[in-house]
Amino acid sequence: MIYLLLIFFPIAMGAGCFVLRTQTRLVIAAAVATVLAQIALVLQLPLDQPARLLGLTLTLDPLGRLFLLTFLAVGALALLATWRIPHGENFVPIALMLLGMTSTTLLLLQEPFVASLLLISTGLLAVLAIVDLPTASSALVGRATLATALKYLVLMLIAGVMMYMGFVLVNAAQPNLANTRISPTHLVLALAVVGFGLRLAIVPFHSWLPDLAEDAAPMVSVLVVAVVNVTSLLFLIVSFQLVFYPFEVVGGPDNQRGMQLLLALGIITALLGALLALAQTSIRRTIGYLVVYDAGMVLFGLATMDKVGVTGALFEAWNQTIVVLLLFVSIGLLERPDGRPANVLRHDLLWRWPVAGTGLLGGGLALLGLPPFNGFASKLLLYEAAARKGGLYLVLLLLASALALLALVRLARERLFGSSEEQRVDEAPVLLGTTDLDRPADRRLDPEPRGMALLTALLLAVCLAIGLYPQPLLSTINEVSRGLTFFQPF
Amino acid sequence: MTILAQNLPVLLVAFSGALILLLRDWRITFSALLLNYVGVALFLARQQFIQPDLQLGGLALSTTVLVKLITGAAATAILAITALTFSREYNQEDLDEFSLAELRRAARRAQRQRAAEPFRASDYFIPFWTLMLATLASVALPRLYPIGADYSIDFVWYWLGLIGLFTMVVAGDILKVGLGLLLCIGSIDVLYTAISSSVQVFPLALLGLVEIVLALSIAYLSGLLYGRLKTLELNELYKR
Repeated sequence: MIYLLLIFFPIAMGAGCFVLRTQTRLVIAAAVATVLAQIALVLQLPLDQPARLLGLTLTLDPLGRLFLLTFLAVGALALLATWRIPHGENFVPIALMLLGMTSTTLLLLQEPFVASLLLISTGLLAVLAIVDLPTASSALVGRATLATALKYLVLMLIAGVMMYMGFVLVNAAQPNLANTRISPTHLVLALAVVGFGLRLAIVPFHSWLPDLAEDAAPMVSVLVVAVVNVTSLLFLIVSFQLVFYPFEVVGGPDNQRGMQLLLALGIITALLGALLALAQTSIRRTIGYLVVYDAGMVLFGLATMDKVGVTGALFEAWNQTIVVLLLFVSIGLLERPDGRPANVLRHDLLWRWPVAGTGLLGGGLALLGLPPFNGFASKLLLYEAAARKGGLYLVLLLLASALALLALVRLARERLFGSSEEQRVDEAPVLLGTTDLDRPADRRLDPEPRGMALLTALLLAVCLAIGLYPQPLLSTINEVSRGLTFFQPF
Repeated sequence: MTILAQNLPVLLVAFSGALILLLRDWRITFSALLLNYVGVALFLARQQFIQPDLQLGGLALSTTVLVKLITGAAATAILAITALTFSREYNQEDLDEFSLAELRRAARRAQRQRAAEPFRASDYFIPFWTLMLATLASVALPRLYPIGADYSIDFVWYWLGLIGLFTMVVAGDILKVGLGLLLCIGSIDVLYTAISSSVQVFPLALLGLVEIVLALSIAYLSGLLYGRLKTLELNELYKR
């Protein structure tokens, strides 16, 4: 019963919210309440006790529960953030449905065919959120936004098709893998690399992510990057465990080349993501490329198939969900209108919006794994795994991180730390004949919305707290990764 | 039974796929898509692993095949209605003057583009050679990399996948991209039904659902694109 509620409750509430979508605040409140109820349901669900439904096995393992609770918490905070951050008319119902489908995917991770198709459906749903316009908007959907939505739709569908094909081939070869005329392992590996590469924005399949960060509403980017992408990563880990490793698609004695390919892809993604972030002028695009860099680091950790590396990858993926929310909430606040024309670039954002500016800076540092933020502990594990694989790997990962830091420093110098543009000019002396109409009107400088500033500060505090004291979370991740069996002896 | 009759479903799938890749007129390509679904249904109905479990007026049918046929017809109908309509009705009096001016400009540009678009054989050069490439690959791959129980199964899923991929590559408008995506889904549908060691109902049902949702998504995006640019051509979307 709890399984059914977990799947259908948010979808039903999403349908209800769609009907009432013009009542923005009511719908947001209902959606947050729904997500909180979901969290309560997940806490009630027994771990590792499978249930059968329509011939499918639904189960929640400790890893799934940790991430599902995180996704729901991130979803609730993203919904709360839409109270003040611009969003589309249909965002709330779509967000609820996305969270419902993500919960379903996490419960069905052991059913690879269904999980692949659910990820395709989630992608199709996300497309609707990308092209969504605010309530009673008098504008047309932007050309770039349409192009981004179409690109996302095509690439996610191809990703799903590739994953599905890979699983069918493994399934077909299962009874007598050794007796097939040509071993399908290389074809399955190629399909998995393209399928999961597209999903996780691994180079050269990454181009959709910076476009999405640039053109979609900030909270849509949060849902796609922090929830849907990380769900795909968990699906990849479960596929390693149940399909790819047992059938020697990766990690077998005859398929070391496959592992080398994944390691190389991880490093290239981290390096190229950081390098491209350095070349950007827009805040959103820079952050998009920094997320690509981080995806490369996570893939590298996973591809080491070493306990330290996989734990680091899981920890980093968890951190990414929190940090991406912090970054996009900060971006949403920094982009609030401040009385200037939209095409005027501010260079003093930190002085104009101090909390949001600090959030962007802190989130960037956390994404790069700099102390004292939460990314530090996970990056340290990834560097340790790289050092165990070979000195060259460590040097390349450190180089990627240095480039990413350079990109963040450039962004901060150009957009955050410029001298304040709101300095008051000395009042001109009143001359004879001057009236009030002759004087320029005082610009009203609204402060940051208190609730949003509080949310940003809270997220920043979470990042700092985990950075300063990562042991409880690390031990939880260590505990959940104990169930994984594909580690290779070092 | 003659060889032609034996291979009629495969020929239908091959011929309709070729039409979709080669031609640009949506009236022909959508009819070909429907034909393609009929061909795939006939092909699957003849396979030994699909047993008839439904009696319709003296005709023994398999529910799986019937569901696939209905799903395909629904997806084709959604895209065909979109192509007929070609627009999402924006409430124009709600738009600001800049948006209205932009719409008028887009409509004039689309009008000029349509007027200056006579038949040119060069437009079919790339689709023709991609069709040749797909044919070569679909004939060779089942021999080089056999996966299914017999040659025709491998040919059909390779053909659908490759034609779908190439249709997306050469597509000039958003509806043709949708056709390519639907063919790719059709390819994994055949692959799963014909090759998987244990076929389950739920993945098959979900595949059908994905097909319909995909057609709806393409229809929605087409509406938005037409509302914005008064054309479904992709080159207008990427113009700076």
